Amino acid sequence: MARYGMVTDLRRCVGCHACTVACNAEWDVPAGQARTEVRATPIAGTFPALASSVFVSQCNQCDRPPCVNACPSGATRQTASGIVSVDKRVCIGCGFCVEACPYDARHLDRQTRQVDKCDFCLSRVERGQEPVCVATCTAHAKYFGDLEDRSSVVSRMVFENGARRIETGEVAVGPNVYYAGLPEQLDLVAATFPPRHPRMPASATVWRRAFKPLMLTAIGVAFAGQAVAFFTQLKNGEKDFED
Amino acid sequence: MSTESISRRQFLGTVAAAGAGAAVAPAAAEARPHPPGWRGDERVEQIATICEMCFWRCGVLASVADGHVVRLEGNPDHPLTRGRLCARGNAGTGLLYDPDRLKYPMLRTGKRGEGQFKRISWDEALDFLAAKLKAIKDAHGPEATAFFPHGIGSRFFGTLMSAYGTPNSAEPSFAQCRGPRDVGYALTFGQPLGSPEPVDLESSKLIVLIGSHLGENVFTSQITAFANGLAGGARIIAVDPRFSTAAAKADWWLPIRPGTDIALLLAWMHVLIGEQLYDRDYVAQYASGFDQLAAHVKAFTPEWAEGITELPAAQIRETARSMGAAKPAVAIHPGRHVTWYGDDTQRARAMAILTALLGSWGRKGGIFLPTSVPRGSFDLPSFPDSARGRADGVGTRFPLASEELGVTNGLVDATMTGDPYPIKAWIVYGQNVLESIPQRHRTLKAIEALDLLVVVDVLPVEQTNYADLVLPEATYLERYDPPVVVTTAKQPFMSIRQPVCEPMYESKPGWWIAKQLASRMGLEAWFPWNTPDEHLDRIIEPMGINGRALRSRGAVAFAGRPYIEDRTEDDGFIPTSSGKIQLYSEELKDAGADPLPRYTEVEPPPAGYVRLIYGRAPMHSFARTQNNEALHALMSENEVWLHTATAGEHRLADGDRIVLENTDGGRSRPVRVKVTEGIRRDCAYLVHGFGQGGRGLRRAFGRGASDTALMSRVKVDPLTGGTGMRVNFVRPVPAEPAV
Repeated sequence: MARYGMVTDLRRCVGCHACTVACNAEWDVPAGQARTEVRATPIAGTFPALASSVFVSQCNQCDRPPCVNACPSGATRQTASGIVSVDKRVCIGCGFCVEACPYDARHLDRQTRQVDKCDFCLSRVERGQEPVCVATCTAHAKYFGDLEDRSSVVSRMVFENGARRIETGEVAVGPNVYYAGLPEQLDLVAATFPPRHPRMPASATVWRRAFKPLMLTAIGVAFAGQAVAFFTQLKNGEKDFED
Repeated sequence: MSTESISRRQFLGTVAAAGAGAAVAPAAAEARPHPPGWRGDERVEQIATICEMCFWRCGVLASVADGHVVRLEGNPDHPLTRGRLCARGNAGTGLLYDPDRLKYPMLRTGKRGEGQFKRISWDEALDFLAAKLKAIKDAHGPEATAFFPHGIGSRFFGTLMSAYGTPNSAEPSFAQCRGPRDVGYALTFGQPLGSPEPVDLESSKLIVLIGSHLGENVFTSQITAFANGLAGGARIIAVDPRFSTAAAKADWWLPIRPGTDIALLLAWMHVLIGEQLYDRDYVAQYASGFDQLAAHVKAFTPEWAEGITELPAAQIRETARSMGAAKPAVAIHPGRHVTWYGDDTQRARAMAILTALLGSWGRKGGIFLPTSVPRGSFDLPSFPDSARGRADGVGTRFPLASEELGVTNGLVDATMTGDPYPIKAWIVYGQNVLESIPQRHRTLKAIEALDLLVVVDVLPVEQTNYADLVLPEATYLERYDPPVVVTTAKQPFMSIRQPVCEPMYESKPGWWIAKQLASRMGLEAWFPWNTPDEHLDRIIEPMGINGRALRSRGAVAFAGRPYIEDRTEDDGFIPTSSGKIQLYSEELKDAGADPLPRYTEVEPPPAGYVRLIYGRAPMHSFARTQNNEALHALMSENEVWLHTATAGEHRLADGDRIVLENTDGGRSRPVRVKVTEGIRRDCAYLVHGFGQGGRGLRRAFGRGASDTALMSRVKVDPLTGGTGMRVNFVRPVPAEPAV
């Protein structure tokens, strides 16, 4: 089974924002919200000995994703290939996963009021296409592929050329987005954009422990009810409510 | 009939959805551009065309469903950009579907600048304009009409203007942009650099950026080449008063005192020649004037330059040596907007000479050579001669200015003064004279002197408020433009802009407007075709290009000969009169100018002021994209960069809102301060294009500060007419309370 990963080469990246705009256009993300964002570290040092780096953030498709645990409805799931995706048919827009994400890579879509995030363009990948951010990147700074396949570009960048992921001793949930760059550049980026502790609202725990089974049962009951209605209707024929 | 009428099937459907937990979200109020799953839908048609979110002319593939453009992507078949597209290109539908667009022809009813108009029909507009132009021609001669074009779409209007009989046409791409550069390189190598610039960044070992802020200044293929160069191990020297994105990637950041670049360039040459680090074989074979150059730079030591540039002599020496070691694969980037200090042709000359010393012209990793290809054309009747000649100073006041591109500020001067003769009408197509030409107060005064100002545009930018007639043009996605031939690519190519959807509202493509006017003015002989398809076929037929392939792929490429080794004797690459690279310029000497570049003293900022410098942000093009929804969301206003110490002197903290005031009392709109170590203490930096005055631009209006509005002074390059724009000084003053 493939294990999908992405590498952003920060030496190449110039921070042009093409990835963000292409992603928003591809996935109807409202302007001002984004699945992937281009940032820069503040300029560090004293004139003229200065340093800064561009940085691109997106969902890290973590091995141990706190968002999946936080999700009460079961909308956020991890596929076998490691991609964390949101099932829009199930998401109730509670936002617990947004709080839980250590990378602030999720947002509540202000139009649909559901959670949205990068899923490595899962449906494109299933069709054999690259994620849009990779396809449009003017600097050819983004690479996508199978980390299990040791001959893939991403594997070589990670396992041979020292691409790093952003994690700390305290927050290590196995991100699958890596960054290539000069060592001091990667240090600066890691120090500026560290993951935060997942915020699990007490209610989220309650949800998970108590309401989630209830919710799933409720969904099951609704389906059952629908099935009953359907068959009843089949039997009795359609009647309009119209007077 | 009850309004609550609802069928059982619908009702059940609703219940089912609620049961599945998805009906919690109410239906979106805003329309979404396309339904999920549109990709791969067989109703979606893909059409190749050329982008115009800037002027780099990248290849775009539009996905269109039922006449609606759902997505723009890079065209993988485009020889230059190969499927890649920048933020602006990806946001192109934001221009197409901008609700603020100009929608129908309008005739001014109020005073100039008030923005009072009445809607008229195209027939009325065209009849009015044709009659006006005829009247002006009868009364004042055809030269009294001046044309301000920009972009490939302007060419049909260019034909119309030439047929009408005026030689007065000027684009800001010369005197506000790359004019002095192209003249400086042409004086040295016999040909201008052109666009896109043939800088071999991807094969370079050392990239030298003199004020070029690649990365913030984004042109797709140039960024690809830059990043490929970096990945290939190229080192970077970034000469910039500001710590740019490129400076952050650089091996050497040289925060030079603004305006002293020529001193640095002369000192570099001093080291390269003094230490015998230049390409001796190349110079001996291809260049002339070396002895004069060597004698000239002898006195310009790094220590001499240190006192002028405020860069350490040791750093100047070290960077010169790094160039000597990397030669000939050294890319001295010639820059693009180079009208800075009025000595810009000479600075371009110094950069060209440095390129020649390193043997980089025509060499891998340096500047590659353009490959001429058939441009395709068809015969038109010859244009009438102008009895009075040009009014913009090309060939007279500005002896080396371009006939083709003209001098915009020369036309402003002539319109204000009536010298050499009165100018009575301006036709502005695709340029924004209030934002692109500095000294706005003079431009406005010139406009006051006009009998007729016509603006052909897509958006209600501020200049439309001053127009007598506003003609709404179709955007680049809705129109055909003449095909483009690019010779300055390793693979030269022809590409086409073709409509991907119908023009919205009552907007019309430029070709249609020009042709309609021509037929009303008795100039139809210059438009001997009926449709864009016929126009394109007549151009490509003699070239043997398959029209169907061109239309479906958007471009056709030809074989290139980018390096010296690709050239034969009769395929020369130094088309100067002597066939040699002119290190010493007899032409400049004959024009009464320095035959070798010389540093001239730059005026320091007055006490309490800093120099205003400006540049670009990657998500915006000029003043064209600030109203675009997606791009506005990424950067809705600019901020003014001030050094920590400068901000401290004015007791300013990061994020404070201030107004910038220049030495003539000119003031900006309020702007936030960015306090940073990443700029010299004697500079303030703004991203260009903000602080716009067009009220019809509902997103962009009034957001941020306009650098152009603070350019009350210029220093004009006497050779080209280029307006040096980095000669204005500003200070922060408290923002007036919001009204």
